[in-house]
Amino acid sequence: MLFNSFSFLAFFAAIVIVYYRISHERRWILLVAGSLAFYGAFRPAYVLLLLGVTSVAYGAALAIDASADPRRKRALLALGVASVLAALFVFKYYDFFVATIDAGLLTAAPAAAPVFPRLNLVVAAGLSFYTFSCVAYLADVYAGRLRSERHFGYFSLYVSFFPKLLAGPIERARPFLAQVRRPVSFSDAGVTAGLQLMLWGLFKKVVIADRLAAFVDTAYRQSVFASPADLLLATYFFAFQLYCDFSGYSDIAIGAALVLGFDLMENFRRPYFSTSVPEFWTRRWHLSLATWFRDYLYIPMGGNRVSRTRQAFNVMAVFLASGLWHGANWTFVAWGGLNGLYHLMWPAAAAVGRRLTSILRLPRAAGALVAGLCTFHLILVTWVFFRAASLGEAATILERIARSAPRLPALFAARVTSGEMLVSLALVAVLLGVEAMDERRSIWLRLGDRPVYVRWAAYYALLFGLIVLGTWDLQQFVYMQF
Amino acid sequence: MQARLVPGQVSVAAFIEAGAPTSHRAFARRAALFLTIGAALYGGAYAAAEWLVYRHAQRNRFFAVRSAPPSRYDHVILGASHSAAFDYQDMNARLERMTGATIMNLSVVGGGISVSRLLLDYFLSRHEAGSIIYVVDSFAFYSREWNEDRLRDRRLFARAPFDPTLAWLLLRNPATLSVALDYAAGFSKINNRDRFAPDVFPDEATRFDRAYRPVDQIDEQRLAFLYPTQVNPAVFRRYLAQFEALVADARSRGLRVVVVKPPIPERVSRMIPGEARFDSALSEVLSRHGVELHDFTHAGFDDEFFYDTDHLNREGVLTFFEYYLKDALLAIR
Repeated sequence: MLFNSFSFLAFFAAIVIVYYRISHERRWILLVAGSLAFYGAFRPAYVLLLLGVTSVAYGAALAIDASADPRRKRALLALGVASVLAALFVFKYYDFFVATIDAGLLTAAPAAAPVFPRLNLVVAAGLSFYTFSCVAYLADVYAGRLRSERHFGYFSLYVSFFPKLLAGPIERARPFLAQVRRPVSFSDAGVTAGLQLMLWGLFKKVVIADRLAAFVDTAYRQSVFASPADLLLATYFFAFQLYCDFSGYSDIAIGAALVLGFDLMENFRRPYFSTSVPEFWTRRWHLSLATWFRDYLYIPMGGNRVSRTRQAFNVMAVFLASGLWHGANWTFVAWGGLNGLYHLMWPAAAAVGRRLTSILRLPRAAGALVAGLCTFHLILVTWVFFRAASLGEAATILERIARSAPRLPALFAARVTSGEMLVSLALVAVLLGVEAMDERRSIWLRLGDRPVYVRWAAYYALLFGLIVLGTWDLQQFVYMQF
Repeated sequence: MQARLVPGQVSVAAFIEAGAPTSHRAFARRAALFLTIGAALYGGAYAAAEWLVYRHAQRNRFFAVRSAPPSRYDHVILGASHSAAFDYQDMNARLERMTGATIMNLSVVGGGISVSRLLLDYFLSRHEAGSIIYVVDSFAFYSREWNEDRLRDRRLFARAPFDPTLAWLLLRNPATLSVALDYAAGFSKINNRDRFAPDVFPDEATRFDRAYRPVDQIDEQRLAFLYPTQVNPAVFRRYLAQFEALVADARSRGLRVVVVKPPIPERVSRMIPGEARFDSALSEVLSRHGVELHDFTHAGFDDEFFYDTDHLNREGVLTFFEYYLKDALLAIR
């Protein structure tokens, strides 16, 4: 039951209607049951895994909270976190690790047979997201930032809440559990705002991301045969496909939660308007994961309060872990590593940039534009690793694009001729235009200031954009695979 | 509700604070008005999409049935892509001239028995026919991919004009219930990405005039695409029974049925798995109903008569018409 399916819209409408008709005391039951049904619709066996991880985290947190001995607390934390992450390891990483070890052994002795058996398990949708939510909860309880939740139903809702279950935001327990306890009454403005966000998220996913995906998939599936211009265009498109796909999912999730009276974390803040790589990662892209790594890995490792060498090590560790979190493939590790390097080298590059700006006497806006374009293109290079099937393929794509660089403008112009391509480019322009407006002042506040006919015209434009231009062949959300 | 963003940013939750809580009823009234206006706009979009169908549709088989004035056709051709080529470019007009008969080709690329059955039922709801020429392909009996799944392919109906009869035919078949709703609502028509593009088969537009140079790997891929690694006997029996029901129904309506197996290169025919078993089961069904079978599989067509592994090109179709199909059709007129 994907967000971009009619069955989800029917499911969600039914949940909302019942939700506002029953008392607050019963709502958690409806939401937990709905969430489990939503998850079970993908594969019923997943529900057992979800309940297993939830139970382990619930029990471990109670034990941590009940213990007065710091060493025992720490041991319980380690045990709880290890148990939760074990599920993630078995389903997502085991085969990758044993395949890597086997490959190493085969290099040493080519005639040898693989040593380790493969599990060939299908990664449960959303597993990376809800295990990280559980780890965050355990860490918060251990650190005393939060008391353990005694109500298993409330805690289950925190882990399994269907809007965020499959691809986040990776919500923190404290604000979420406080909202579960707080009675919610129907709010016209809240429901409207939630529906606005859902509509915009659906537009980004179904109209923009899935349209771009067709071009990206064709070029990357046959990267050897695709022309360098196609590969470059596909890489640009992938940057926007991924953003619209994931931020679209997040908008639908946050919007659906808002309709039900829940305020989830913001996950994206117009990332391609970043003027530096650190800004991109810490303040604009996948914020719930970035802050997770900051709070539960970077800071516990010492954060900034260590030597510069150790700090650089911490940064690289976080980015490599982030890469591995995305998938059991060396391409993601390379993606994380490259971003880590950017992050470390950015201060020096920024100093050079500032010096050049002052020598050339560029206006501040022009300097910001150049910095923004540099940031975007640096990130663009990393998306090649993110999208390619292997490191070799990523290297080949980058090499082919680089070799054809002098001819690319002409090739590019020749390529942008079909109606489909022009529609795709126009949609990217619309996205950037809306985000540019949003960057100055919230688009929702702007819309709220307008008369009702303007607001409704905007809604109808989005709705009919979905109907007329949408790709409705139920393409999965990219981040669901993580 | 607590806004949880950095200072300077405005959260959606903060925006909510601005609005006072209202009743369900006031919201429902506005929602109803919004939906009513939306429905009216949707009706406009539907009308525009329908207009575009009549303006651009050409090969869509439902369009052909709907847009032709009710009349009697001498022959109706059913089948998959092999017989769809008999209608590429001006082929059908040529066959009509050769035979002096009126012919409507309802073959659909990737269309198995279930698709042919729907098209025949729809055709007979508006027109009459003297005979049915069913061009059989064994692969269409082996998988739901060419049958129920193909029937559920919304693209099949993206250029089908609205007709209550077709909506009813889709509604009464459990396999096409979701398609029926989509068709009646016109969603695929409004959402059709090719709404302005010419309505021709992709192969017709790009490859029909070419001659094929055999490549083993391509042949193997093609056969692997069409044929399952192992035939499920229950699936085969199901589609054979559907085929027999179609033949029996046509016969009961007084239509003559002729079954044709199209020519394919010898090299390819040798690669098709279980064809002898298929032929034997097909012959058994046809003999039960007194239906004649014209098997042109081994008619000696070389690769120069094909535009790919197994589809006749322009020259191949014309040769096939001139020396084989024409006589078969003249004989049954």
